[in-house]
Amino acid sequence: MTQRSTRARRAGWLALATAAAIALAGCSGTATDTGTSAPVDGGTITVGIDSDPGSQFNIHVSAADISALVLRNVFDSLVVQDADGSFKPWLAESWEISDDGLSYTFHLRDGVKFTDGEVFDAAAVKANFDHVVDPATKSQYAASLLGGSAYAGTEVVDDHTVVVKLSRPFAPLLQGLSTTYLGFIAPDVLATKADQLAAGGPGITVGTGPWILKNYVAGQEIDFAKNPDYDWGPGNATHTGAVHPDELVYKILPEGSVRAGALTSGEIDVAENVSPADVPTLQGDASITISSVDAPGLPWSIFLNHSKGLFQDKAVRQAFQRGIDISSAVGAVYDGLYDRAWSVLSPTTPGGYDASLEGTWEYDPDLANEILDEAGWTQRDADGYRTKDGQRLSVHWTATSTREDRATLIAAFQADLKKIGFELVIDQLDVGAYLDRLMGGNYDIVDWSFVRPDADILRLHLYSKLAPIQNASWVNDPHVDEWVTEASEETDPDARAATYEQVQQWVIDDAAIVPVYVPGNITATAGTVGGVRADITGWPLLYDAWTTKES
Amino acid sequence: MRRYLPRLVGAVIVLWGAATLSFLVLHLVPGDPVAIMLGAQTQASDEVKARIRADLGLDQPPLEQYFAYLGRILQLDFGTSYRLQEPVVRVIGAQLPSTLALAGSAIVIAVAIALAIALLARGRISRAVANVLELLVISSPSFWTGLLLLTLFSFRLHWFPVSGGQGVASLVLPAITLALPIAGILSQLLRHGLDAANAQPFVVSVRARGLTPGQLLARHTLRHASLPATTFAAYIVGSLLGGAVIVEQLFGRPGIGRVALDAITNRDLPVVMALVFLAAAVFVVVNLIVDALYPVLDPRLRAVR
Repeated sequence: MTQRSTRARRAGWLALATAAAIALAGCSGTATDTGTSAPVDGGTITVGIDSDPGSQFNIHVSAADISALVLRNVFDSLVVQDADGSFKPWLAESWEISDDGLSYTFHLRDGVKFTDGEVFDAAAVKANFDHVVDPATKSQYAASLLGGSAYAGTEVVDDHTVVVKLSRPFAPLLQGLSTTYLGFIAPDVLATKADQLAAGGPGITVGTGPWILKNYVAGQEIDFAKNPDYDWGPGNATHTGAVHPDELVYKILPEGSVRAGALTSGEIDVAENVSPADVPTLQGDASITISSVDAPGLPWSIFLNHSKGLFQDKAVRQAFQRGIDISSAVGAVYDGLYDRAWSVLSPTTPGGYDASLEGTWEYDPDLANEILDEAGWTQRDADGYRTKDGQRLSVHWTATSTREDRATLIAAFQADLKKIGFELVIDQLDVGAYLDRLMGGNYDIVDWSFVRPDADILRLHLYSKLAPIQNASWVNDPHVDEWVTEASEETDPDARAATYEQVQQWVIDDAAIVPVYVPGNITATAGTVGGVRADITGWPLLYDAWTTKES
Repeated sequence: MRRYLPRLVGAVIVLWGAATLSFLVLHLVPGDPVAIMLGAQTQASDEVKARIRADLGLDQPPLEQYFAYLGRILQLDFGTSYRLQEPVVRVIGAQLPSTLALAGSAIVIAVAIALAIALLARGRISRAVANVLELLVISSPSFWTGLLLLTLFSFRLHWFPVSGGQGVASLVLPAITLALPIAGILSQLLRHGLDAANAQPFVVSVRARGLTPGQLLARHTLRHASLPATTFAAYIVGSLLGGAVIVEQLFGRPGIGRVALDAITNRDLPVVMALVFLAAAVFVVVNLIVDALYPVLDPRLRAVR
């Protein structure tokens, strides 16, 4: 539910990526339950993950995907977001939102206990949210999920009633509250051991969750034991009570091919974040289930910088948008595994995807040529590129480490653009140099995707005051500012959706951001494991899981 | 003692140079450490960024940071890791045993393989085969060799586990992966050294004294042949450290190679600088040991001192 940058930083030994041809049919869509047997108690489930959550065990500080994924087992939230985007009870049995959208009253479940024996009550909620917004906590993500500057405090009404107050409406609040980042840490730990939360460990990483952290070996594995008293699972779970297995182990295997191999050899039971290149191998094993969930949020997109250079001219942006053959490139590289994107919201984002954009801006090199001719780019230089007043029609794509064969896509676009006399230069930089250019706005193009199941990501990526992060296109339009602000404060879902449709139309008309494809989270599960579900972002959830493997 | 003094002074200068150079390079390369730490899509507020910068001492002038850094090194304090927020000495200390076990077993395997090849491949055909094999293992990237070994012995035959830290069995494949290129180089050096030694006139006189080929090898020619290999010790240590980065990543083993890769990608300056310093220290020590070994291996060098 946060940025993908941690994963993107993987060292890309591209020996693996040479397998560009991927054959996967019928795997897009929602996850299916794995295993056919009835749930069994006992045993151990082993999951292979791609990065080490080391020093990122403080969920109130960390912005890393891996922290939320692994620590979901330890920390529960007030509410849970179901796969359809709706919110269901979890530690809060029910809640009311005031008409002005400024106060959220939560009625807490009775009998919930932290695994150190403390009672989960309204005071615990307040202690946690106070911790998140304390400047000394230096929260990198959780504070923004709690509303950032809109958050006005938490009030304890009685033991089981708590009110979250806002200074202005903040519609994405429930979504934020459903994430691991706003999960609940035992109050005693917050009071006495807050400085050790980042390092984490048994007795420090303590929540109300179904699993108890037992052991962490840096760079190697994280072990959890069953919380036998657990009886407050999320409202969308398929079972109630404690988890089925006795133990849960996360093994840190940074290389995708090694995770895939370890799964086929039975050393791990679930492989998380499977690389598209490994999908064909895994499909060869009939007992393995592969599920891919389209990520909600911003698809992998191309940001065209409005503040400097040639992309200040809308005509050049439009020529770029229509002059690249996105459908062919995405089809060739991902072969049906990932879909081509038509909007800056991916279709699985709850509340607001504008399906009417589909098919409205197909590849059209003739139109692109026409636009460029009209804009005065009529001369050609010796290399066949268009020029105007002696200047070549040339833009730079500033890229850092690429994943999922994105480099192949960029190269395909480069070839497409050359056909219309438009030069694309690719500057592959290390992350430091990349960030310098990004912060300074010294680029024509940057790219990324952003996973979050809330359409508020449109505000993050378009609001004028948020340039260049996340508004990397440096969009500065009073109407857009008004729309995205209005929508973030609108608590009526239909009115919100209508505004977001308007914004999505505007982005395509303006060619501000060019969405390319909808990435997905691929999980592979062994036949001996059942009940693994995917959350709305596609991460595997293990609360309902069981194993039939004899250990 | 006096003859070691210049060497020790030289060693200190090398270490100071390594510390200074790593500080300089890491401050000259573009990129703000706080921005890199938080990533391109951070939601952290400016206030949080400023606090992190102040906590890490990055708001101080570079020269002040440099002298503070040198002062701390003198007390063997390498500061606190930006990313892990733990003392660097503890971060590296916790991971060092794992890498030492890996490197130690790799070097034992490499020497054993090299000796076996050098001693067995004496015929014309076996030499040609040895030549090809050596070239193959030296030129294959470790990543590739490791993946092949994993696919065969772990994924297919299930003889060894994939990931690290499960006792000796989990050390076998990573150690072999790391050992192979080193074994190739050592074996080449040994074979050429043996050939050169065998061409020396003393061989004839030794044989004439009635020594068997085995005795000749053990007492004389192998000694000669091991000199060039010893000279390469620093290079071998270098490939062990470099190879550990790849091998640890591939096999999911903890160790300082992983720490190094993480620290460099996240611009974790204190950790990177400590690792550079550690590497320089290792090279200095290895070279001192090698210098001390020469006279032991080759009596002719003793007279010179």
